[in-house]
Amino acid sequence: MSFDSKQSLNRREFFSYLTVGWVMFTAATSGILALCFRFTYPNVNFEPEMEFVAGTPSDYPAGVDERWKNSYGVWMVKQEGKLIALSNICTHLGCIPNWLPAELKFKCPCHGSGYYMSGINFEGPTPRPLERFKVGLQPDGKIKVDKTKVYRWEKGEWDNPESFLEV
Amino acid sequence: MSGKGIAQKVRDTQVWKSIFRHGPPDNARNRAAVVAGNVFLHLHPIKLKKSGVQLGYTWCMGGLTFFIFLALTVTGLLLMFYYRPTAEYAYNDIIALREHVPLGIMREIHRWGAHAMVITVWIHMFRVFMTGSYKPPREFNWGVGVILLVLTLLLSFTGYLLPWDQLAIWAITVGSGMAKATPFMGNAGPGAMLARIGDFVMVSDKNDVRFQLLGGRFVGEPALLRFYILHCVFIPLVVGVLIAVHFWRVRKDGGISAPL
Amino acid sequence: MLRELINKLSDPIISFPMMTFAFYLMLKHYKTVGTKKFAYWTIAILIPVIVWFLADPNFFSIIKTPDNIPIIILLVLVGFFTWFWLYKAALNDTRIEEGLCPIEATPEEREKVWVWPNLVYTELFAIIACTAFLIVWAIIFKAPLEESANPTWAPNPAKAPWYFLGLQEMLVYFDPWMAGVVLPGLIVAGLIAVPYIDTNPKGNGYFTFKERKMAISAFLFGWLVLWVYLIIVGVFLRGPNWTFYGPFEYWDFHKVVASFNINLSEIIWIKMLGTGLPKNLVVREIFGIILSLSYIIVIPPWAAKATKAGRKLIQDLGVTRYYIFMFLVLMMTSLPIKMILRWLFSLKYIVALPEWELNL
Repeated sequence: MSFDSKQSLNRREFFSYLTVGWVMFTAATSGILALCFRFTYPNVNFEPEMEFVAGTPSDYPAGVDERWKNSYGVWMVKQEGKLIALSNICTHLGCIPNWLPAELKFKCPCHGSGYYMSGINFEGPTPRPLERFKVGLQPDGKIKVDKTKVYRWEKGEWDNPESFLEV
Repeated sequence: MSGKGIAQKVRDTQVWKSIFRHGPPDNARNRAAVVAGNVFLHLHPIKLKKSGVQLGYTWCMGGLTFFIFLALTVTGLLLMFYYRPTAEYAYNDIIALREHVPLGIMREIHRWGAHAMVITVWIHMFRVFMTGSYKPPREFNWGVGVILLVLTLLLSFTGYLLPWDQLAIWAITVGSGMAKATPFMGNAGPGAMLARIGDFVMVSDKNDVRFQLLGGRFVGEPALLRFYILHCVFIPLVVGVLIAVHFWRVRKDGGISAPL
Repeated sequence: MLRELINKLSDPIISFPMMTFAFYLMLKHYKTVGTKKFAYWTIAILIPVIVWFLADPNFFSIIKTPDNIPIIILLVLVGFFTWFWLYKAALNDTRIEEGLCPIEATPEEREKVWVWPNLVYTELFAIIACTAFLIVWAIIFKAPLEESANPTWAPNPAKAPWYFLGLQEMLVYFDPWMAGVVLPGLIVAGLIAVPYIDTNPKGNGYFTFKERKMAISAFLFGWLVLWVYLIIVGVFLRGPNWTFYGPFEYWDFHKVVASFNINLSEIIWIKMLGTGLPKNLVVREIFGIILSLSYIIVIPPWAAKATKAGRKLIQDLGVTRYYIFMFLVLMMTSLPIKMILRWLFSLKYIVALPEWELNL
């Protein structure tokens, strides 16, 4: 028998090549799938601005101010010497609560979650308080609200000096 | 006219014979040929146990589900001629479908048909369970059926957004709000807190499953487009393939269930 | 008077136990329910009752909402088919008790018939009837269309599509991650697992109840009580703010319901021990965590050893099937358990860890 082992593969080599082949195939397939998955997340999306300038602290009377609610989804709440920017997204399932001035509470129409003026939840199915956004003063004395930075009560973040303005 | 009637003359033409390869199904041979030789009818076996054709046993709900699926495909296709999935046009196009288009009930048929399909699917499942038809050898096909049931609900759910009215966006806001709470994969779900490195949050509202579903942080224009594609193309394709598997397996597993 | 009574009775606190009890009665006396006589009497009683219900303007205004029509159709069909199944099952079970075979297994039913024309024409007529029904439905009822989408203002109440209202009803008792993700996922997984768990070879291809009591009772409880009934509650009895409203009650937006719920940790640490909540999260919730874990981990092995039904079950199913089955059943019963705890103790969470978004 003139079997040339240099040119053809022996059994062991064949299987190791096969393994390498399958590993590469699997890796390539999962790579392509991962790319398809990544494709579903756009790099840029055209949603409302995450930062806005909200006048001066003296513009706001004590209590809840709704002027930025529809445009930026923010309530400005002035209470106990603090001015805060409160998110208007219900922490239950993302509906928009209504501010009920007579009862001094935010009430979500979808499932009846209720929040105090401070944003703390007290009734309904919601698991946690409303979120607060970063507020700061610009050099020209105007308030800047930054919605990219979120402060949560249950993590103890409401003591963070960036989460409110002393007024 | 003596001899052959008109019907017989038509049947004798070359055109007729080229379409139907056999005579009228009034004898055993032709009855077998008509079912086996027709691409649509050959989903059926040629003969069946008597219990399997009786409405009292089958309730006909699976067949009706398939028919309604076809009806929804046709009406949905017609609706696509007039509907544009953008926030600017969608709502007005839906109104136009009622007021500016002849036969203004096409959307009604589509919507009520969708509800009817959900109902018939549920009752089909109810019947299949009650006759124990998921038992061997039909275990796998029951699983395919469950997935088809879920896909039916998803089809209906994605279609719910398309009219772009208050009913639509808030139903989808509430529904997709649950995706936000998916463990580890939603930004408000258990475990999402753990996936963070220092200040950097790995699962946020910009990269969780809800964002993927909606193409944004809330139900907006990208969500409308995504739901439109899912509703009109992606899910129907998957459903179509699974229906084929489902029917194939009904036949391969021995046809409709009957006492062993 | 009577209307107020019905309003009160339909509150889930009362109507859920009533439905469960009615379900139990239905299965216990299924041979009585599954008779034509029973069906005629039910229809004879129901028709005047329904007319009386419809005469009420508040009830009628809920019923006539276009998107609620399918639910009425669903109810009629589910009612009929449940009865019809009981009827067929009762016939077969009586035959089996007499030592005969089920009707579907008789020689005349086993006889093979031609698909053309027997089946093909049935299908044709079903298609025609279905098409006619859809067209008539579409002509009579306009598809609902509300105002154009407004992302800044949510309508009250905002409901999911009706077939998800059973899930939405769970949201009253569970957080979204349970009610919206885990439980639905387990419903799907559990349904797919059914054929692999149910090893009973009987009842394949014919209607029966007697030969597969456990499988059918578990499935029907989930389907009729936990799914269809919760859809009814979600559609007809949940009004503004997701508050409960009786069928004859006007949907008053200002109806105030005291819903101050407390967590298990607060009950134990503050009310019973009087120490105040501990700072450490795990210590704070330790009782709830132990309870929840023991519910899932301790009950199945305990039941397999200590109860007669459990011993029989683990013997019949084998160990793996038994534990999967018990896990699914325990998850299913977690909903009624949470409901009852809410009604009795105003309990909000057994484990309340909003810091980790992990509330049970």
